[in-house]
Amino acid sequence: MTKLNRRNFMKFAAGSGITMASGLGASQSAFAGSIKMQAGGRDFSPITKKERQAIPTACWQCVTRDSMIGYVEDGRLVKLEGHPDSIRTLGKLCAKGQAGVNQVYFPDRILYPMLRAGKRGEHKWKRISWDEALDLIASKLKPLRDAGTPELFMYQYGRHKASQAATMYDFMGAYGTKTIGNHTSVCEAAKWVGQESLWGGMYDNWDYDKTDYVVIFGSNQFETHTNHIPTSQRLIRAKVDRGVPLYVFDVRLTNTAAKADQWVPINVGQDGLVMLSMCNVIMNEGLYRKDHFKFMRVTEDYHATDEQKIAAVKKNVAKYTPEFAEKHSGVPADTIRKIARGFAKANSACLVTYRGTVMHYHGADQERAAMLLSAITNNLDRPGGRVMGVGAGWKHPSSPKAKVHKGLDVNDGFPDEAAYPTHHVSHQVLPMIKDGHAGRPKVYWWSCYNPGFINGDNKELQSILQDESLMPFLITSTIVYDESSQFADLILPDVTYLERWDWEDMVSANQIAEFYIRQPLVKPLGESRCQGDVWPELAKRIGFELAYTSKEDFVRQSCEMTPGVREAGGFEYMKKHGVWHDPDAKPNYGFYEAKVDVSGDGIILDEKTGVYWNWKKAGAASEAEAKKNGYLGTKGAKGAYVAQDIGGTAYLAYPPKTKFTKAGYLDFYSDNFAKKGLPAFPTYTPIPEHQKMAEDELNLTTYKVAVHTHSRTAHCKWLTEIKHDNPGWINTKTAEARGIKNGDKIRVYNDLGEITTTAYVTEGIIPGVIAISHHFGRKHSGVYGSGKRSPLPGEAAADPDVKNIWWNKHGTHPNAIIPNSSDPISGTQRWMDTVVRVAKA
Amino acid sequence: METDWKKLADIARSRATIYGLLTAVFREVPTEALIEELRGPRFSGALSEMGMDLGDDFYVAPTSTIVDQMTVEFTRLFIGPGQHISAHESIFVDLDGGRGGLWGPKTVEVKKFIETTGLEYATQYTGLPDHVSVELEFMQRLASLEAEKWGRGDRQGAEYCLSVQRLFLEQHLLSWLPVFCDQVILQAELPFYLAMAELTKDYMTFERQRSLTVTAA
Amino acid sequence: MSDTKGPEISRRKFLSGVGTAAVGTAALVAPGVNIEAASSKKAPRWVMVMDLRKCIGCRACTVACKSENDVSLGRFRAVIQEKTMGTFPNTKKAFLPLMCNHCEGNKEDGIPPCIKACPEYPGERAKFKTSNGKTIRYRKGATYKRPDGLVLIDKEKCIGCGKCIDACPYGVRSFDPFVKAGGDPSKQAVDKCDMCAHRVDNGVEPSCVNTCQGRARIFGDLNDPDSEVSKLVKAYDLAKADNVLLPEEGTDPHVFYIDPDNILKTLYTQRKKGKLDHFVDQMP
Repeated sequence: MTKLNRRNFMKFAAGSGITMASGLGASQSAFAGSIKMQAGGRDFSPITKKERQAIPTACWQCVTRDSMIGYVEDGRLVKLEGHPDSIRTLGKLCAKGQAGVNQVYFPDRILYPMLRAGKRGEHKWKRISWDEALDLIASKLKPLRDAGTPELFMYQYGRHKASQAATMYDFMGAYGTKTIGNHTSVCEAAKWVGQESLWGGMYDNWDYDKTDYVVIFGSNQFETHTNHIPTSQRLIRAKVDRGVPLYVFDVRLTNTAAKADQWVPINVGQDGLVMLSMCNVIMNEGLYRKDHFKFMRVTEDYHATDEQKIAAVKKNVAKYTPEFAEKHSGVPADTIRKIARGFAKANSACLVTYRGTVMHYHGADQERAAMLLSAITNNLDRPGGRVMGVGAGWKHPSSPKAKVHKGLDVNDGFPDEAAYPTHHVSHQVLPMIKDGHAGRPKVYWWSCYNPGFINGDNKELQSILQDESLMPFLITSTIVYDESSQFADLILPDVTYLERWDWEDMVSANQIAEFYIRQPLVKPLGESRCQGDVWPELAKRIGFELAYTSKEDFVRQSCEMTPGVREAGGFEYMKKHGVWHDPDAKPNYGFYEAKVDVSGDGIILDEKTGVYWNWKKAGAASEAEAKKNGYLGTKGAKGAYVAQDIGGTAYLAYPPKTKFTKAGYLDFYSDNFAKKGLPAFPTYTPIPEHQKMAEDELNLTTYKVAVHTHSRTAHCKWLTEIKHDNPGWINTKTAEARGIKNGDKIRVYNDLGEITTTAYVTEGIIPGVIAISHHFGRKHSGVYGSGKRSPLPGEAAADPDVKNIWWNKHGTHPNAIIPNSSDPISGTQRWMDTVVRVAKA
Repeated sequence: METDWKKLADIARSRATIYGLLTAVFREVPTEALIEELRGPRFSGALSEMGMDLGDDFYVAPTSTIVDQMTVEFTRLFIGPGQHISAHESIFVDLDGGRGGLWGPKTVEVKKFIETTGLEYATQYTGLPDHVSVELEFMQRLASLEAEKWGRGDRQGAEYCLSVQRLFLEQHLLSWLPVFCDQVILQAELPFYLAMAELTKDYMTFERQRSLTVTAA
Repeated sequence: MSDTKGPEISRRKFLSGVGTAAVGTAALVAPGVNIEAASSKKAPRWVMVMDLRKCIGCRACTVACKSENDVSLGRFRAVIQEKTMGTFPNTKKAFLPLMCNHCEGNKEDGIPPCIKACPEYPGERAKFKTSNGKTIRYRKGATYKRPDGLVLIDKEKCIGCGKCIDACPYGVRSFDPFVKAGGDPSKQAVDKCDMCAHRVDNGVEPSCVNTCQGRARIFGDLNDPDSEVSKLVKAYDLAKADNVLLPEEGTDPHVFYIDPDNILKTLYTQRKKGKLDHFVDQMP
């Protein structure tokens, strides 16, 4: 209590003598203009009329990126809904999307740049201005670039897509660093690698609107998926309205399995085996369709006849009898037969796989088995089948590239860790930096990424960030203080996706591309700033120019450059409508059947593979030399692929659009795999750790629930209210054997460590497994996410709803006992191969 | 009864000064110039008369050290990262559906109130419309204008200014600033922000009493 | 003002035409709501049909409702219950969307139990205008039934006694910690699903329906024989006791469930007396 009172306050005022006008302290007034008082003593009554705007934009909670409408009132976002004109989402938005409002206004959001003031992890910070922050970053980055070592600046991102990724890559290209990390290996890299080795591209989609049969392995479409809203609503409609059979193989009774004709429980890591066994049934019972064999390569011989190929497939899958598969997978042989027959006999059928199938040892090969099953039943890129995703192809401005362009070799795992890490080995980036053999960045900047939470052995990764001797300067762009940003040196307040510009391109579920944009619904809160607006500022300070001045400018230019969008009205049209698709477009199927003119200059036929390729485009010295070395023996020939000769016709077939050099066939016999000692043909390879499990050991699997993304929604109160704890799902018998009852506290442990949670004893999981979702156990992430008022001691203020938090559980994080360990084919993180023991705590 | 115009103007001016001081304290991390001013004999004298003690360190340590300490403290208290005392009315006031965290309905009310007087938010101001320092600065503006009106003998104009201040105090500042100050008093580690929070709270008590009693000058 | 529903009030404005230019008109068309047809003879009778086959337990409705109505933490206006049944490997799981049943009330007086329990009912007289200009008179109260079947709450009149919360056999009502009871500002007002009346009154379907990806929620006018809900009620014989919750309570609920597997009773977790735990949306 001070002595201030009405008698002495004037004296105090005179003594303090500081006014706003004196230009001290708050030198910047919050106001412009002057007070205009109405004459007369009329009542003062501010007008409270509200205005509401509907603004089309796009979601970003998960990678599905649904187009949507934001409703804004008085500059405040009040509601999000699906965009009714979108051919992808058909006006729907999921629980996470609906909770996007929480992203903007959660009480502990980071709104100002902050510089570390104490030791890393000591939680002492200083607010600084953006000018100071950018000057500081430039002072670190410019010397690296000037010294010809731009690769010592590393950037790693979690969720960057479309123009968010394009602007970032553009900046990095202009700066000169190729040390750019991603997060795909913890996501689904094995799936892409498996697909790329076959059909030369990736991102399969499932044509549910037209399909007659659906079989899903290890994918929980009704709760969570990379294309959730577009696909799941079509699947449930197919199931109920058209009676399409749906079979779901999963260790857990997911919501997807719950809606299936049958949940088929399957042992961990056996999806590929069951698929190969289905192939066995289909081949043996003559249920295959011959149609697609001409596009397949199944032996070393590029010129095998369809009959030879059929015989070879038959031979290759002969050992995977339903009885053999039953022994390992736990799926009854009769069930395998039933589903195989149904799948093969259906007019069209979708085979769906995801993390449950591929996040394993040889996960990429499991995906190859899925492709084999689809191919022999002629369900690849055909109506109603497993199709190649169709997304928008945007054109965009590009800045001049730096003269020196280099990268550190820290993205693809340790030597010999992965044969084809075409999507990198992101979970090993920090361990590799610690190791140091491939060099260490001097500046490490991560964005929309939480490496100390989302990777395996996450506490170890946090300790790498904390160690100042490994990387001297850490920058992060984030909206929330989390397990990783606590160790940064500089925190930049990122905007939420509801405050920024983007063009977007996620694939459609109906094979027609949709172009759509994201636009700010509200002004960025506080001093939060879009990275697309940061890049041009930073470039200027380092001494180069970009081809755009802001993210909005980038999006505007892209709209004016992109055919179709441009003619529709470009940027102004997109701002007004949010979405555009070509009204005359036909669904895109059967791309491989396109016949190609091979009469062009430089096009020659490679006798060995039957590939037509352009030796000039490939940069061969002469036609003679090109012929001598052949398509496979010429560097750059892959990029000069023209067509595949099949029975005298030149088909587009399956062009090698990715890092795999291959002919135009579906490479079910893969030289690429063979030469690295990997199975050339899809093969059942038991998971090593599972072969030596002791009687009392269990498999640990992780999963996502319908109301959370992996790590970016914990602070969304409406989601965390529904799901904030993650008990371990355990089968009644498995629990009984350990004396565990429903609700008991349990320990889950292995060599790496121990976590505790409660047991959810259920008939909805296969015995021998414990399943724990991977969203929780947050140490930070705001009061809603972690329940913590940290790092401040005691009770600090938060928003009014905090008083209504009724839950006191915040879950556990299973990643602490999951090692970072890669699929030797793809480099994917083997989330599902972990072995643990479980005991009552 | 004869009106003492000068006294009325002085009172308003003094109130504007105190609002100005508090605005400067809560707006942003302190500058060296502010610290110098605060350490000056006039201000330190005024403080000790009010029974406030900023500690010896505040007067003897190098200015840059004080700025550093206070910057860290200010950031920890009011900026984060992580849990902090978010200095916004919409965070503190839960009536009338103001449950939405930052940029709540209260924020909109404050913004509209201020804009109705003809003021606009400056483009260089990057904070939220209902930040504590904005509400304090608004009061400072109103009190300054009031002082000007008294100075010109414009009773009607001055009283109008007063009525707007009263309305703003009742509808906004008084409803949350004391609670905010309690939080700061609880959390502050440096004597400076503790003292300023106490001062602000007491000043609000003073303003509340004044607002109740002074219906017309 | 205790009943501050700013967004709702202004949304009414928005939906009546302000600011619609920016988006496709589809946003303003509610497939299930056909006011024109409904207006010919009498007031509409708004109902919800829940197709249990199509509910995938995604919780988009739960969160859409939270957002639309800014529902505070600790309570819900709409939830999903889920239950796992059977023995491994023949285990099943199903989902049950729950909300206020907008009951018609018993045969004798046509007053639902929540309204009967309200000390402020019957209150003032009010007029309901159908869209063809016909006027229907009814009595309001702190909670009351509108002639179009919606059971609503007037928070200005509510005295916060909580009797309706106890009286509802379904347990879908709760105190709103952020809104004072207008009739007794020392208490909190009661809140529950109002079928998004602010949307429906402007020809827009409720928020939960709008975002239901399975299209498991079908909203419409039972008095319009051409509406989808009327057709479904007929096709699946939904008016019979098996297809509503707690028919034995005699409340005549107007949320109907398409339930070919006959699991509604097994699936439903009733409230325990004096508690509302059953109405908190949780996943195992």
